[in-house]
Amino acid sequence: MTTETVKKEQGPAGGSAGAGELVLETSGVTLRFGGLTSLDNVELRMRRGEVLAVIGPNGAGKTSLFNSLTGAYVPQEGRIVFRPREGGEHSLLGAKPHVVSQWGLARTFQNIRLFGALTALENVKIAAETRLKSGPVSIMLGLPNARKAERASDRRAHEVLSYVGLLGKMNELAGSLSYGDQRRLEIARALATDPEVLLLDEPAAGTNPTEKLELEELIRRINTELGVSVLLIEHDMRLVMSVADRVMVLNFGKKIAEGSPSQVQRDPAVIEAYLGAVAEEDEAAVGQVVAEDVSGPAVRKAGTREDAGTGAGTGTGAEAARRDTEEHE
Amino acid sequence: MSIKTSSAEGAGQDSPSTTAPLSAAARLRRVRWYQEPRWRRLGALLALAVTLRLMTGEEGTTQDLFLALREDFTGVGLWVWLAIAVAVWAVREFLADQTSSAVEGTKKVSAGPLERVRQVWSADKRVRMGVLTAVLALVVFGPLGVERYWQQVLVDQIAIFVLLAIGLNVVIGWAGLLDLGFIAFFAIGAYSAAYWTGSLPVQPPVALNNFLVLPIAVLTCLVAGVILGAPTLRLRGDYLAIVTLGFHEIVYLMAKNADGVTEGARGVKVDRFSIDLGFFSYEWKLDPMPYYWLLVVFIVLAIFLFLRLEHSKVGRAWTAIREDEVAAAATGVPTVRYKLMAFAIGASTSGVAGVAYASKVGYFNPENFAILLSILVLAYVIFGGMGSIPGVLFGAAFLVWLPEYLREWVDPKDRYMYLGALLVIMMIYRPQGVLPSRRRKRELRMAEAGVGGADATGPAEGRQP
Repeated sequence: MTTETVKKEQGPAGGSAGAGELVLETSGVTLRFGGLTSLDNVELRMRRGEVLAVIGPNGAGKTSLFNSLTGAYVPQEGRIVFRPREGGEHSLLGAKPHVVSQWGLARTFQNIRLFGALTALENVKIAAETRLKSGPVSIMLGLPNARKAERASDRRAHEVLSYVGLLGKMNELAGSLSYGDQRRLEIARALATDPEVLLLDEPAAGTNPTEKLELEELIRRINTELGVSVLLIEHDMRLVMSVADRVMVLNFGKKIAEGSPSQVQRDPAVIEAYLGAVAEEDEAAVGQVVAEDVSGPAVRKAGTREDAGTGAGTGTGAEAARRDTEEHE
Repeated sequence: MSIKTSSAEGAGQDSPSTTAPLSAAARLRRVRWYQEPRWRRLGALLALAVTLRLMTGEEGTTQDLFLALREDFTGVGLWVWLAIAVAVWAVREFLADQTSSAVEGTKKVSAGPLERVRQVWSADKRVRMGVLTAVLALVVFGPLGVERYWQQVLVDQIAIFVLLAIGLNVVIGWAGLLDLGFIAFFAIGAYSAAYWTGSLPVQPPVALNNFLVLPIAVLTCLVAGVILGAPTLRLRGDYLAIVTLGFHEIVYLMAKNADGVTEGARGVKVDRFSIDLGFFSYEWKLDPMPYYWLLVVFIVLAIFLFLRLEHSKVGRAWTAIREDEVAAAATGVPTVRYKLMAFAIGASTSGVAGVAYASKVGYFNPENFAILLSILVLAYVIFGGMGSIPGVLFGAAFLVWLPEYLREWVDPKDRYMYLGALLVIMMIYRPQGVLPSRRRKRELRMAEAGVGGADATGPAEGRQP
C-alpha cells in the first residue's frame, strides 16, 4: 500500500490551489420510481482529494444517489461525469456497475454485503483480482502469468487488510466477523480495487463508540495518505463534522444546502428539514439539536429500517419511511 | 400453520370455555413436543414408506380396480416398509445425536469424522499422493475383474454421467446457475460427432476422425453455451431454469423432427473411436475396457483443470456472484462474463461426453437425450454435494450404479422409485450432499442461522430501471 501512496494534492477544506479540479460532477440528475421522485435535479461537485459528506433525513435519496453514481440505478435525466486522474472523462450514467468500479469508483453498502462464506482474505482478493489480467485458460493450464497474478492479488490483499487492521483475522469467515470488523472489511474490499473515489454508505451504522473513533481515523488516513476522495453518507453528525471538508444536504431528493460543516449546521433550510419548523432561536443551540437529532437514529439504524420518524414530529415520517424502504428495496 | 395461529388467538381472546371446541388435531398442534421438527420428519418418512409400498407392490387390474390398494395395505409388506421408515428415522434422530455427542465428549474439536479425515488429508502431502495413486490404480485396473455386463454399465453410464456431472458442477455448484437443459449440450456433442464423421444425411466438408471431432464439439458447445447464455444470464434462479428447459426442448425436438438433417427418430449410426498414425493404429471395438480407459483420461483431465479453476480468481468470482451478485458487480467483477464462462465450460465438458458417448455406443437416437437425463444429472450433483468434485464423482457413480444393482433385487420397473426415496431421505437429513464442499456447507449453515444467504434463500435484487 505504502508503495502506491499518492501525495494528497490539496489540503482539507479545499483551501489550497488546484481545489477547482472536479473528480465527480453531476448535473440535473433525476431518478423516478413510477410516480415517486427519488432524486430531483441533483447537482453534485466533488473536488479531488476532499471528503464530501451527504446528509439528510431518512428517505432523502442519499443511497439512491450512490446507486446512481455506481450504475446500480439509471436515472432518467441528468449527467454524471467522472474525471479520472489520468485525464479524460467517463459518463457514469447507465454504466455497468463493474465498469464503474474498474474506472475507479468503489463503494460500500449500508446493509453490509460481504461474501459471508468466504474468508476475509478471499473477500479482498476478489476485489484485487478485478484489476489483474488472467483468463480461465491460463489458470487451467497453470501458466506463469496466472500464477503471477495469483501471487500479486495475495500480496495486495494482505497489504489492504493490514492497512485497515484486519490482517490478524484474514482467515476468518467474513460472516462471522464482528459488526465493526465487517464494516472495515467492506472498506478494505473497496480499497483493494484501487479507487480514486470511495463511496461509503453509513460506515458507522451499528458500530460502538470505540469502533467509530477507529473508523474516523481510518477514513482520514485513506483520504490523506492514499489521496482517495471520499463521498460519505452518514447519520452520525459528530463523525461528519470531524471528517468532512464539505457537507451536502438532501431532502426529498433535492439538494437543500451545501457548504462547510459549520455553515450547513446553521442553515435554516437544514434545520427545517430535520426539525420541521424554523424558530428564531440561538443558532448554536439549534445546531446542537440538529447534531443530536441526527446522531440519534444512526444508533437505532443498526437494527431495523423502521426508524424514519426521526423524533422531529414533522409529520413526514411515514412518507420518509416509505421512500426509505423504496430506496433500499 | 395458519390453523395453529388462529386457534391460539381464539384461545387467547376468549374465556377458557371456548377452547373446548378445538379439535383434537388443533390441540395436538399446540403441544410442545409435537412442534419439534423431528416429528414432521417422521411424518414425511412414513408417508414415503406408504407411497413406496403402493408404488412397488401389486399392480391393479382392469377387473378389480382396488386390488392394489387392498393387497398393499393388508399384507406384511406395508409393515416392513413402515418399520424401515421408523428405523431410519430413529437411527438418524437419536443415535446420531449420541454418537456425535460422544465424539465431542472425547475431543473438544467440534468436527465430525469427515472433518477429521479432511484434517489429515490436508496436513500431509504424502498421504494425499498415496491415497490418490491408490484410488487411481483401483479405478484404472479394478474394473478388469468384474463381469462384462458391469464393464458395459461402467462405460456407457457411469463414466459418461460422471463426466457430465463434473461439467454441470461448474455451472450449478460453483457459479450457482440452475441449468435444467444440460443434456442439450450432450446432444449437440453427440450430433457433432455424427456430422463430422459423415454419419448424417448432410455431409461435412471433410469427414474427420472421432478424436479430431472432440475439439470441434468443444467449440460448438462453447458457442451454443454462449448463444444460450448471452441473452438469458441476466435472468436469475427460477427464470434461468425455465429458459434452459426450453433450450433443451428446442434441441431435442430439432433432433427428433429434422429428419433430413438428423435422421429424426430413426437414430444415427456412428463409427467408433480409432487411431491411425501410420506406424501405429488402433481401433476401439466391442470390448468396453479401452473406452473406459479413454473416458478415465477425459475425466482425470477435466478434474485436474477444473480444480485449478476452483481455487483461483475465477472460482472466487463465481462464489462472489453466487452469494451476492450486486456486491460482486460493485466490487468490479464482470458478472455476466463470469456466468457465461461457467456456462461455456460446463457445456464443453458436456460436448466431450457427447462425442465419447456417440463413439462408444455406435448408435443413438433423440430419446437418448430426454429431459429426464438433465434432471438425473442435477440429482447426482446435488446428492454428491454441489461444488465438491469428490462429492460429484461419488454422487454420479453411486446413483448410476444403484438402479443397475437393484435390477437383481426388485421389480426392474420400480428401480427409480427407490432412487427417489433415497433422494427424499437425503434432502431431509443431509441437504448439503454426501461430501459437500466447504464453501457450500458454510453458506447453508449461515442461511440457517439467518446470516447472509445461500442462493436458494437469499433475496434476489435486480437492477433497477
